[in-house]
Amino acid sequence: MKHPIRIFSLLTLLSVLLAACAPAATPTPEAPAATEAPAATEAPAATEAPAMPASNLPAEITLGAVHDLSGATALYGTSIQKGIDLAVKQMNEQKFFGDATTVKVLYEDAAGDPKQAIAAFEKLIANPDVTLILGPTLSSEAKSADPVAQEAKMPIIASSNTAGGITTIGDYIFRTSLPESAVIPNTIKVTKQALSLTKVAVMYGNDDAFTQSGFDVFKAALQAEGVEILTEETFAKGDTDFSAQLTKIQSLAPDAIVISALAEEAANIMLQARTLGITVPFIGGNGFNSPKLAEIAGPAAEGAISGAAWNIASTYPASADFVAAFNTEYGGNPDQFAAQAYTAAWVAAYAIKSADSVDHAAVRDALAQTTGVESPLGFFAFDANRDPVHEPVVLMVKDGKFTVYQP
Amino acid sequence: MTVFTQFWSTYGSVVQFALINMLLGISIYFTLYTGLLSLANAGFMAVGAYVSAILTIHAGTPLPISLLAGAFSAGFIGWLLGLPVLRLRDVYLAIATLGFGEIVRITAVNFDKFSGLTLLGGAQGLDGIPKLTTPAGLIFSLILLSFFLIQFHRSRAGRALAAIRRDENVAATMGIDVAGYKLLAFVLGAFVAGLAGGFSAHLTRFVGPNDFTFSAAVNILAFAVLGGTAHWAGPLLGAAILTVLPEALRFMGEYRGIVNGLILVLVILYLPRGLFNPKWLTRRKEAGHAQA
Amino acid sequence: MFWQQVVNAIWLGAVYSLFSLGYTLVFGVLGILNLAHPSLYMWGAFIGLMCVNAGLPLWLALPLAMIFSGLMGVLLDRIAFKTLRDRNAPHLATLISSIGASIFLISAAQGVFSAQVSRFPFGVFPVKVFTLGPVTITLLQISILAISLAIMLFLRWLLMGTKLGQATRAVAFNPVTAARLGIPVDRVIMQTFFLAGALAGAAGVLLGLAFNAISPFMGGPMNLKGLTVIVLGGLGNIEGAVLGGFILSFSEVMSVAYLSSDLRDAVSFVLLLIILLFRPNGLLGRSSAKRA
Repeated sequence: MKHPIRIFSLLTLLSVLLAACAPAATPTPEAPAATEAPAATEAPAATEAPAMPASNLPAEITLGAVHDLSGATALYGTSIQKGIDLAVKQMNEQKFFGDATTVKVLYEDAAGDPKQAIAAFEKLIANPDVTLILGPTLSSEAKSADPVAQEAKMPIIASSNTAGGITTIGDYIFRTSLPESAVIPNTIKVTKQALSLTKVAVMYGNDDAFTQSGFDVFKAALQAEGVEILTEETFAKGDTDFSAQLTKIQSLAPDAIVISALAEEAANIMLQARTLGITVPFIGGNGFNSPKLAEIAGPAAEGAISGAAWNIASTYPASADFVAAFNTEYGGNPDQFAAQAYTAAWVAAYAIKSADSVDHAAVRDALAQTTGVESPLGFFAFDANRDPVHEPVVLMVKDGKFTVYQP
Repeated sequence: MTVFTQFWSTYGSVVQFALINMLLGISIYFTLYTGLLSLANAGFMAVGAYVSAILTIHAGTPLPISLLAGAFSAGFIGWLLGLPVLRLRDVYLAIATLGFGEIVRITAVNFDKFSGLTLLGGAQGLDGIPKLTTPAGLIFSLILLSFFLIQFHRSRAGRALAAIRRDENVAATMGIDVAGYKLLAFVLGAFVAGLAGGFSAHLTRFVGPNDFTFSAAVNILAFAVLGGTAHWAGPLLGAAILTVLPEALRFMGEYRGIVNGLILVLVILYLPRGLFNPKWLTRRKEAGHAQA
Repeated sequence: MFWQQVVNAIWLGAVYSLFSLGYTLVFGVLGILNLAHPSLYMWGAFIGLMCVNAGLPLWLALPLAMIFSGLMGVLLDRIAFKTLRDRNAPHLATLISSIGASIFLISAAQGVFSAQVSRFPFGVFPVKVFTLGPVTITLLQISILAISLAIMLFLRWLLMGTKLGQATRAVAFNPVTAARLGIPVDRVIMQTFFLAGALAGAAGVLLGLAFNAISPFMGGPMNLKGLTVIVLGGLGNIEGAVLGGFILSFSEVMSVAYLSSDLRDAVSFVLLLIILLFRPNGLLGRSSAKRA
């Protein structure tokens, strides 16, 4: 009884492995089905092996997750957790892995500390039930903990690391977060034309890896477009008063203020700038893309332009369904962290299903083959460097909501 | 044996972090033993971490050389800082040394931007440091330092430091070079903190400015005070417990921080002089004598 | 631009002073650094926010938040400090106890209010911007400035001009002698903690209104500024906290305006070190040898 199944799954595994060696253009089995079946709403209509009588998956699939659930960065970790939990809830409700298999997530807190991230990774790696790890939250944690996973050959899917040099740690490291370098140049190009920018002021948090790397990309993009940078003003993590920097910027009369900051900081910058009587537009990156921006800055956020990996206003079904499901579950709009984490969990699910195995190597190979998974971010695929491939968007706050920027 | 392997694969890093924190416990013990409340240790740790990591990455020096270079750099900066600031007392010294730690952190953030080099990596830190730290290396350093401390306490310098802690003015009238010995204690503490920083960088493979904030400095102080400052074993015990506690409380999930804080308060309320009681040692010795 | 920067600096100085007054008060009376003070500030902000969200007007939410965080201050003393005081524990133990309490309070706030950043609803305080020649200032900024100065004058009057103040100063000078003179030392300490807690709560609500960044972690960055401010001015000195607040704010604003925002914090800490080298007990501080 068991033999045919085992042989069949072996064949499936082999085909996956073969596919991994084939050119990237080879469509994976789920691609055709996925196009008409948004992950968020219904189970994918077809899987790679409809004739298969039973799967090789255990009764319970265990995903590990290492995120910042306490400490100052818990803000992002808890948002990510909501995204993952929603995805897992949907998988179990729609019996994504069939009647006999459920999914659960083991969370470990990294508290924003690379050392705790290492300890959490080791704990999950030592647990034989854990199939892959979603996380960690910060790039600094990733740089410490990802090598541990790479050595242990444990697949990692990050959803919030945007710095360079993450996926190059090894072939087991994936991410669903579009790096800043894929978002910002496009934003600058679009806004330069639309607003005829010639000179701008830049503000950024210089002691935070996320905001500093965003600044580096902004600077390069501005220089490439020939826009003059009048001044580079910095602030420190946790700062709340930006009036000194803004007063200086005001005296230089820029065409726009480019900000590399997280939404909560950016909101206060906008409020204080408008109070001082600064009227020029604000331009930002992924950090802006949170409902918190308009929630905190209110009218001051009107007209703020943000490059982003994900557009909350998108009418794309998988995205709209995700926003609706998130609202039903938690009573509020998701941010980009939640959207990317939700995508990461679904990408993991598709890979496990296509590998029909919880073996680390098999799942890794299936992940590398991911193409055309319907997600809030669009048809999701990894490139050869295990970074996401999808088009960034440029958004603008209008009536307190992000809408696609139409110059 | 398999139990041990299982334990090591799950908690191996935690054990090594505890050993590194024990080094930091010793580093702050030097100053506390002399009656100096210094919070510069996180800053010295940063110096040791950056210097040793840069040497390993760019010069390819073997670990012991990198570590010693980091420790000596930290000691040297400790000497430069100690000359002026050790005139301060109590909380004033604590905040001045805290200010030094912040200056180190800000320097790490801004160094590349102002120098035009690509050396410290700014806020993104320095990654790709080879993992060279081994438990054996850490244990060896700790044993070496413990021997040094035992010898040191018996030495003239050790007795001078104890006298300064009891009463600075009396010590001065006894002809002890108070300023000189304070500086010695401060530099020794800086050296050991630099060593710990080097070990840490080569264990986590990453050094970033945010590893050395205000709270890191205060944590190191907590190792010593929780463990007890009357004997050098106190900070070792305190460091081990405070490293393991948050990991051991992982099963509490979202209540981890609450319980962690509560335990810290309760321990210090019931054992205000620290967990380690030096009487344990003397009693055991007495018992030994009785047997003999 | 210069005059606007002066206004920015005066306003920021008021912010720093407001935060630091309660901090320095506890040190002045008890000689302890209460590192849980920033957590009371954070809880004050959240309680104020809760009251406003429940439909109460701001003028009612502010005193309620003050009473709540004042009582929390008293509770903090009863749990984390009184036992240690009764046992005559070393000051460092008190410091660690306050760290434990602060970890507890922050984790508890995260449990109750989540880690998200919140703000007071729009329109709770009227947004009014005044433009006077080259200078722009808001009604909220003027109010906070006035409240900070009023609180400073009130505290000064309370300590210098009332019987309660006399008793408080006696306790601050020497609790044992004060007790012999028939002063209810324990009650004075409770009153001090209530007052300090209420001040922290007021700062939480007002700065929560000003900066729209209410979160369980809002106390951390403020703590470092607060420590710098009270040490600059002289620990335990009410006027010192205000003076220190303005020195820090002018140093920060002017280094952003005329030097570089990258160097802002480095300038502050270098200034702190330099001032301490010339005035080892802060600008208005008494000799710590006399206090001890």
